[in-house]
Amino acid sequence: MVKRLALFVTMIALIFGAIGPVVPARAAAPITVVLDGKVLPTDVAPIIRNGRTMVPFRAIFEALGAEVDYDPATNTVFGFKGPSFVILNPGKTTAWVSGRYSKLDSGPVIVNGRTLVPLRFVAESLGEKVEWIEANNSVLITTTPDVPLPAATALDEYKMVYSGEFVSLNYLTTNNANDMVASANTIDALVGYDNYGVMRPSLAKYWKTSADGRTYTFTLREGVKWVDYTGKEYAEVVAQDFVDSAKYLLTKANASSHSKPLYSAIKGAKDFYDGKTTNFSTVGVKALDKYTVQYTLVEPVPYFMSMLTYVCFYPVNGQFLAQQGSKFGTDNKTVLYNGPYILKTYEPQNKREFVKNEKYWDKDNVHIEKLSYKYNKEASTLAPELFFRGEISAADIPINVLDAYMNDPSKRNQIRSGLPGTYNYWYAFQFDPKFEAEYEPDNWKKAAASLNFRKAFFHGFDRVAAMLTYDPYNPEGQIINTLTPPNFATADGKDYTKLAPLAKFSNGDSFDPALAVQYKNKAMAELKDKVTFPVKVKMPYRTDLTDWTNRAVVVEQQLEKLLGKDFIDIIPVGYPATNFLGSVRRVYNYAFLETNWGPDYADPQTYTDPVAPGDPYKYTPIELVDDGTYKKLYDAAIAEVVDLSKRYELLAKAEAYLIENAYVIPYRASGGGYVASKLDPFTTPFAPYGSASLSFKYRTLLSKSRSAQEHDRAYEQWKKDRAAALKKAGQ
Amino acid sequence: MSVYATPTQPDRPRLGVRRKTDSLLSYTIRKIGQSLVTVFIVITVVFLLMRLLPMEGYIGEGYDKLDPEQREAILRSMGVLDPWYIQLKNFYIDLARGDLGTSITFRRNVPVAEIIGPKIPYSFKFGMGAIALSLTCGLCMGVFQAREKDRLFDRLGTGYIVFINAVPAAVYYLFLQLYITSATGLPILFAPEDPKSWILPTISMSLGGIAGYAMWIRRFMVDELNKDYIKLAKAKGMSSTGIMFKHVLRNAFVPMAQYLPTTLLMTIAGSIYIESLYSIPGMGGLLVDAISRQDNPLVQALVLIYATIGIVGLFLGDILMAIIDPRIKLVKGGGAR
Repeated sequence: MVKRLALFVTMIALIFGAIGPVVPARAAAPITVVLDGKVLPTDVAPIIRNGRTMVPFRAIFEALGAEVDYDPATNTVFGFKGPSFVILNPGKTTAWVSGRYSKLDSGPVIVNGRTLVPLRFVAESLGEKVEWIEANNSVLITTTPDVPLPAATALDEYKMVYSGEFVSLNYLTTNNANDMVASANTIDALVGYDNYGVMRPSLAKYWKTSADGRTYTFTLREGVKWVDYTGKEYAEVVAQDFVDSAKYLLTKANASSHSKPLYSAIKGAKDFYDGKTTNFSTVGVKALDKYTVQYTLVEPVPYFMSMLTYVCFYPVNGQFLAQQGSKFGTDNKTVLYNGPYILKTYEPQNKREFVKNEKYWDKDNVHIEKLSYKYNKEASTLAPELFFRGEISAADIPINVLDAYMNDPSKRNQIRSGLPGTYNYWYAFQFDPKFEAEYEPDNWKKAAASLNFRKAFFHGFDRVAAMLTYDPYNPEGQIINTLTPPNFATADGKDYTKLAPLAKFSNGDSFDPALAVQYKNKAMAELKDKVTFPVKVKMPYRTDLTDWTNRAVVVEQQLEKLLGKDFIDIIPVGYPATNFLGSVRRVYNYAFLETNWGPDYADPQTYTDPVAPGDPYKYTPIELVDDGTYKKLYDAAIAEVVDLSKRYELLAKAEAYLIENAYVIPYRASGGGYVASKLDPFTTPFAPYGSASLSFKYRTLLSKSRSAQEHDRAYEQWKKDRAAALKKAGQ
Repeated sequence: MSVYATPTQPDRPRLGVRRKTDSLLSYTIRKIGQSLVTVFIVITVVFLLMRLLPMEGYIGEGYDKLDPEQREAILRSMGVLDPWYIQLKNFYIDLARGDLGTSITFRRNVPVAEIIGPKIPYSFKFGMGAIALSLTCGLCMGVFQAREKDRLFDRLGTGYIVFINAVPAAVYYLFLQLYITSATGLPILFAPEDPKSWILPTISMSLGGIAGYAMWIRRFMVDELNKDYIKLAKAKGMSSTGIMFKHVLRNAFVPMAQYLPTTLLMTIAGSIYIESLYSIPGMGGLLVDAISRQDNPLVQALVLIYATIGIVGLFLGDILMAIIDPRIKLVKGGGAR
């Protein structure tokens, strides 16, 4: 009854609002709201409370192009627009902007039965600019156009050859990189990323964070369906699906590779995983009702939302899972789909076909109808030829055959450089060497502990020369000067790598031959009686990788030539691919090593994880040579979980300390290379972590592969659009 | 594993003296007994060797980002943490029940039989096609080369044989795939539903066989043509074609017969290179993949299959030879394998 009454009142108000005259509440000083040069008509005149202009919620939301909703049961007002949403409660000062908890100094009020909301807060939350013009008592709102999402093109089939077969379609357990392609395209998460890297609500219609940042409550979109491989409906996606998935992941016997993020973040999850309790209700994952799922964290995690695009927060239909048992995910018939695509055909080592899921809730943003993959063991070798014959849509052009294609003008203008990847590569010094006596580990240990010695390497290492072994055409393209690559994170509109502590590295080049020789002389003087020169430097590499094998020689010659054979004797030692990391890096079986890392979440901390104090991932124990400063800097940075700008500043400081002290030598970002592709790379969901970027949602096909120049132009445009889109979404 | 046992250097057929106590039945029983022991040894050795591989190999690329307890849970679920004798015992118990186990790293939780099952027909069909083609072409070529010895056809044929044996197969396979497809419009990749896509792989697979059979037949025939019985046949006025096919070819074929069953059975092992070039979802390369991924159950099953057909093939070869050549008897005693 109350509900009906409220609806009635709202409707009357709406009709009144639509046809009624504008009646100022206070004759004395009427406030006008001017939106892009036009006066905003409101049925109830704007008022001022606590110095805040308040306007009727429907008028302002609709004028800003937002979809309005009102929940009479909880007396909550919603405004949804693109990636953003605002949640307000009349009479309360709490509000949520795209899920983030906010405290208002003046909450919504009810005047004459109408809900008035703070104008500036609402408009700014949706990314618009608000100015108060004192002189004529008016509020000026200037909107910026939305950056449009990719539009469909007439091309609707993507064809590819592949060599990496799925190991398992059980996305809850598998961590095989190829398998992620399947789950990223067939399973939807609570949130997703668009092609600008803007986070958008997906299965969650909206969410609220608690004031202490420990509780996240997601309200699901209603009517989203699980379907089988034929597209037949199986069930609705509900809150319990997230609980069932968490329970499966946290049951040790299921041997999931994805339990760790869950049990490190979620309250009570570790105890359940360790078997200290069998009562799942003690775990902070709960279905509050059919459409509400709540996660409670051990402690606030500033990047928690970015973790939601990880497999460990994917839902699963518990009934289906139980029915399938160990058969779950063994083929395309034993999984359910709720994402943009369905794996319609799956013939291992032959072919796979994804088709658009016609029941997908956001199918208007799925533009490619069919993804056809044909297996070929030598796919990467065959792909360029198949591409130029028009049989497939994209191919990486290996450096060793690039010339052949570049000499053909019709093919040359279809080849462009690849986009940078998100893995970083750096050179590491081993501070606790565990290798054969012939390479003199004790001698190395003493040498590596010297800052001068390390700095000689740091400034003496010609990274461009080393890169020539990877990309002889554009060796500078992938060089990075920090552990965190550029364009990964921004704080207050500034790229993380350009923050004060890191700017001096990211704007320069570590290679400085004169300086290197100076440090060499200092090191030789300092270590004269302690270390035997030349110091033997065991530098392992993988023999199956031609570029690395070549690079080992280049690095050896370059460093020995510059720093002198009286100083160092670099000894490249080849190891096979099998168990390379297990026999080299993780057992400290090296002196100097090229190594890498990929990000796991949306926070620069992720790139310092491999060099975190205590060496959790077995790279090198920095604390053995550091005086404790690094640990202090690191701990202070990760303890800051509320103020993101401050956190980034502190993380940048810690990272800068690592570079300054030559504990690491940043080298290059992954990716690059050369590509011929009809896929428009700038329609690809953009996220440096998680599997979002493997999804074909939003993606479109070009009628022809872009030339290098066309690609560069599109890239510049995309960078601008991305900045605008992020700004507008407040992300 | 090659589809062909190239019969250029066959073992000398074992000749023996018939003994009255010997029968095919007792020979068979003894042979089966020996074969079982051999298979058992082979399987057990392979099983134990696989257990020497590092534990990290089971987990693969994600190793770094897993906690030790997760790694343990994963290894436990694969059953590789049990002591080797427990694993071996379980393996034989399952095997006795006819259960080859489920894959652990190749296709997680999928029964090994389901992985291998659909692949065998592809390899078998291509293998049979290629054998048929290489036997027909190879025998004809060899016979005509012998007849035309030192003339143009023989020289061309010898040139072909030398080429096939001297140039790495990978080179002419690739050449055929890239140039013949662009010249003829034949599809570059195999698709079961497209009959045209069967042509090139079959031809490619038979090239080596053609050369092998032709070389063997030519050599044998050239040797044989100078023998007395040929002279007699000639003197009797037999046509040279008749001599070739009725006498010489039959004799030349006897040593090849020993390997024919193995060659036929081994077609199911597939051709690593041809299958990977043309995307044929057959058995070729499966064993190599399984070993590199440390999928123990899959490796064991494949080794079991290959060892069994290898032994069965040899056994059938012996019998076939005995049937074709009345001089050969399957003797009791140390001579038999």
